[in-house]
Order: sequence, then C-alpha cells, then structure tokens
Amino acid sequence: MSVFQHDYRPYEGPTTALWKRPLVLARYGLAEAWGSKITVGLGVLALLPCVVDLVLMYLADNPVAKMLVVGGSKVLEINERFFLGVMETQCWFALVLAAWIAPRLVSFDLGDNALPILLSHPVSRFGYVLGKFIALTLSLSYVTWIPLLVLFVYQSYASPVPWVMGHLGIAFGMFAGATVWIILLSLIGLAVASWVKWRVIATGAMFAVIFVPAGVGAIASTVLRTKWGMLLNFPVVMSELWQRLVGAPSILPNRVDLPNLAIAAVLIAASLACVAVLNARIRAREVVRG
Amino acid sequence: MGVIALDRLEVRLGGRTVLNGLTGELRGHAVGLLGPNGAGKSTLINTLLGFHDPAGGSAKVLGLDARTDRMRIRQSVGYMPENDSFIGNMNGVRFVRYMAELSGLPPAAALERAHEALFYVGLGEVRYRKISTYSLGMKQLIKLAQALAHGPKLLILDEPTNGLDPTARQRMVQLIKEIRKEGSMHMLISSHLLRDIDETCDEVLILNKGRIAAISNIEEERRSHRNFIEMEMTGKTEAFAEKMKAMGCECARFAGGRVKVVMPDALSQRDLYMAAAETGAEIRRIQTRRDSLEDIFLRAMEYDGGQPRGPQQQVFVAGVKG
Repeated sequence: MSVFQHDYRPYEGPTTALWKRPLVLARYGLAEAWGSKITVGLGVLALLPCVVDLVLMYLADNPVAKMLVVGGSKVLEINERFFLGVMETQCWFALVLAAWIAPRLVSFDLGDNALPILLSHPVSRFGYVLGKFIALTLSLSYVTWIPLLVLFVYQSYASPVPWVMGHLGIAFGMFAGATVWIILLSLIGLAVASWVKWRVIATGAMFAVIFVPAGVGAIASTVLRTKWGMLLNFPVVMSELWQRLVGAPSILPNRVDLPNLAIAAVLIAASLACVAVLNARIRAREVVRG
Repeated sequence: MGVIALDRLEVRLGGRTVLNGLTGELRGHAVGLLGPNGAGKSTLINTLLGFHDPAGGSAKVLGLDARTDRMRIRQSVGYMPENDSFIGNMNGVRFVRYMAELSGLPPAAALERAHEALFYVGLGEVRYRKISTYSLGMKQLIKLAQALAHGPKLLILDEPTNGLDPTARQRMVQLIKEIRKEGSMHMLISSHLLRDIDETCDEVLILNKGRIAAISNIEEERRSHRNFIEMEMTGKTEAFAEKMKAMGCECARFAGGRVKVVMPDALSQRDLYMAAAETGAEIRRIQTRRDSLEDIFLRAMEYDGGQPRGPQQQVFVAGVKG
C-alpha cells in the first residue's frame, strides 16, 4: 500500500516476538488509563501524602528544624510504625485508583465487542489478561511501592545516624506488602470490570467487592463469636499482613490475631476466584456467538 | 498445498455436533463460504482461527494445524468479523495501528501501514475521527483495514457486505476484487449473498447442517457450463427425463416441475417437444440460460449427507434427481 497510489502491497518487514504482544496491550492500556484527566488528578492526589511525609521526615532528620517545630517530643520518630502508616495511606489510594482505572482497561473492549477482533490476532486469552494486568499493576506501583521506597531511600540518606542496615526489613516489608495488595487489587479490578460492562457501576462494584464481604465478615464474627469472620474483611486482613511484614505494632484499635496461613489462604483463594471469573468471562466473549 | 485443508473435521459445542466430518481441500485464491443460518460457517471460521478445538479430525490453514499452531495461523491471517467489533473510543488510525502491532509489526511500521490501509479502503479523510462516530459502512471498512494492515497471507471476511447500502456494498465488492487481483493473499469470504460470492470468488464451499454440501470451482464451472434449457413442466416429467437421458442429454429435475436439460449439438428444441409429447409430459414454459451459483447452491441445499458433490456432479447430474 502507499498513500499516494492507494495500492495494496504486502508487508515484508520484521515482526516482533510473540512474547512481546502482551506488552503492546499493556502499553495501549497505560495510555488509555492515563489519557483521562481524572486518572491524572487521582495520581497527583495520591502522591500528596508522600509530600507531607517527606516534610515530616525532613523535620525528623534535621535537629534544628525538629527543635523549632515540635521541641523535644518523640512524635516525629521515623520507624516501622511511621512507614506502616505511610504504606496504609498509599495502599488505600491504590484502591481508589484501581477502581477508576480497571474498568477503563476492559470496559471499552467489552462495550464495543472488541474481544473477537483483539483475540483473532496472535495473542491468547492469557496474554490479553496479562497485558491488562501489567498496565494496572504499573499504574498502582506508581502510588504504592515506588514512592514508599523513594521515602525509604530519602530517610536512609537524610538520617543523621546509621539507620539503613537496621531497618532494611522495612523496605522489604513495604515492597512485599504493596506488591501483594496491588496484585490482589488488579485481579479483583479486572474480574469486576470483565463482569460489569458500565464503567461507573464497575467502579462502585470494586468498592463493594472489598467492603461488602468485610461487613458480612464482621456480622458473622459478632454473631458466631469467632475471629474467622474477619478473614472476609480485606482491610483487616491486609492491615495484619502489612504490620507483620514491616515489623510494626498494629495500628488497629481492636487487633485480631489471624494466623499467617489463614491470611495467605484467603488471599490466594480470592486471587484464584478472580482468575476463574476472568477466564470464564473472556472465554465467553472471545467469539461472536449466534 | 491447499489454503485450507479439512480432514474429517468435527466440532462439538455445548454437547451438539456443529461441524460433522468435514473433508476437503480449498485451493482457490478467493474461496466463498456459503450456507444457510446455522450451517456452521462461523464455527468453521472460528475453528480455523483456533477459537474452537476440533473434537475429531483436523483443520489446516496455510499448512498449519489449527489446534497446535493457532498463534502462527493468527499471525498469517487477517480477520474481519461479521458483527461490530472495534474500540469506539479510539480514532481510526490508532485502532488500526494497535491491531497491526498486535500482529507483530514494530510501532513505526504499524503506524505507517495503518495510514496506508486506511487510505487504501477509503477512510483516509476520517482516520483521525473516533470510530464510534463512523457510519455502518465506515465501520465495515475499518474492520477490513485492520485485517489488511499487517499484510496477511489469508484474509477471512465474515459477511463483509452485511448491512451496507448498494453504493457501499459495491465499493466493498470492488475492494475485494482488487485485493484478489493483486494476488499476494488468499481470501475466505463468508456471505449469505450469492451475488457477492459470485462476483468475488473463484471457489465455493457450501455447508449445510454442519456438513459439506458442495465444493465447487466457480471458474471451472463457468468455463464448462454450456447454455442449458430450463423448463417448467407438468405430467410425466420422470418419464420425460429418462427419455432425454436416453437421447444423450444431461437432465436434472427439481421441485415444482422444473427440469433442466443440456442437449448435444445434434438435437434441437423441437426434439424436446417431441419427447414431451411421446412421454405424456407438458412443457408450460421454456427458456435458455446459463447455470448460476444460485443453482449450485440450491442443489447443494437439497443434498442430504454423504460425500460432497464434485464439480461435474453439481452442475448436471446425469439422469433423474429430485
């Protein structure tokens, strides 16, 4: 083909490797997600707490500034508890961002019945989900473990006393905890978006999936006088996990002592359920029926 | 090697056999896929693209097995689905570029080919408009553009003229003819419209109830078809047909007293009247015409299982039929 002649000519150039095709989906997914001003606004908003934390760390690490602002108080102590608080804040911003972005990644494809044409190209169902998953996890990384590790690095640099070697566990804990959370959020987000065609409803459904089971779990725990109902409460489960990974004391008023195995089991079960839903929904829509 | 080779292909969906023992080889440059609703056309296309696993037998596309080489097949195939299938939020050039990149073109080449493909199908002026604002004809054309952009070896078009007005249909048919004439790719065109297939294809595969009712080389048919005489008759048409066969004619009977006859050069129309008078049949209407794809299709629809008809059988079945 050529524009001026309007003739067809076959393509004889190079082609990319098959494994790179999900990356094409991820790249277009990222562009789609961040093409919205609301996404950019949420992204900026999600970084504001980090700016505040950065200022607090500066004050804590600068003896003169600390003396001027808070005197000799230990309020501004940078430790596991401080980073746990920062992490919890960022991770809940990630939920908001996921609830907004995930439907944008999938609902356009479902709304216009694009899956048959997308999957008629050399990309499998798994590749399609992987591409969208990469786009979502990268977007959520931007507000979770990336700024968290930047804060950790800053604290390592700014601390007047040797600090890093004694607190490397915090960095690992924040990275691991945030990674578990964004993987879970991405899977839930994609599963919900594949089920609900309308973006606004999908966004609401995402919050519902997180908080409705929490309410049910709380009721079950109260009625049955057991702690196991809390396993349905993702906020509690994740708080427990983050606190253990970072090595900080719990910041929940009523601490529930859930076994590690139970926490791992509930997270794996939720992830597998999301994968099953995704597989079923995309398989059902990959060809035009009827 | 054929473009598409089917060997006892069987596909079951939801416990129901949709394609049943399809065997045949399609070698044409542009192959038409015909059949009534529910005949299995879309299922066959989806199986060739690797969306459905065969329950038995095999299907090969460009020599690649549809079960094991689905990614390589999709790499070599451009597919234009029947229904609306696009991303309405994207503009034309971005959508076609996206699809070309998914087919393996590097981003720069994909962008260049996207522009070219859109100009080629006639959407150059609207390529920066969102697809959701396109008319039905434009949506059909952009599906064709994305199927062409990566330079496939086989182009699968599912109902390409579906819902188009006469002008847009003519434009689509013309484009298909140009692609066929260019010669670098094969085409499989599924359509309900016999006229579209007749105009664009050189081979036709007719499906009926999940079986192959006929595989026919349209070009050969056209070359081999002599003029024939079509009659509407009453009375003893069976005896008339036997008489004509005895006189060296090829004769086929159809429902409603329709009889088609190809006569040797030595015979004339007068002999028809005489044979009718001798056998007690009455000729109500008579006309000379050529066999058409419609005739092939209608005969194939009357066919009820067994081996598909070869080219000679479908044109004129010697002796009595019906």
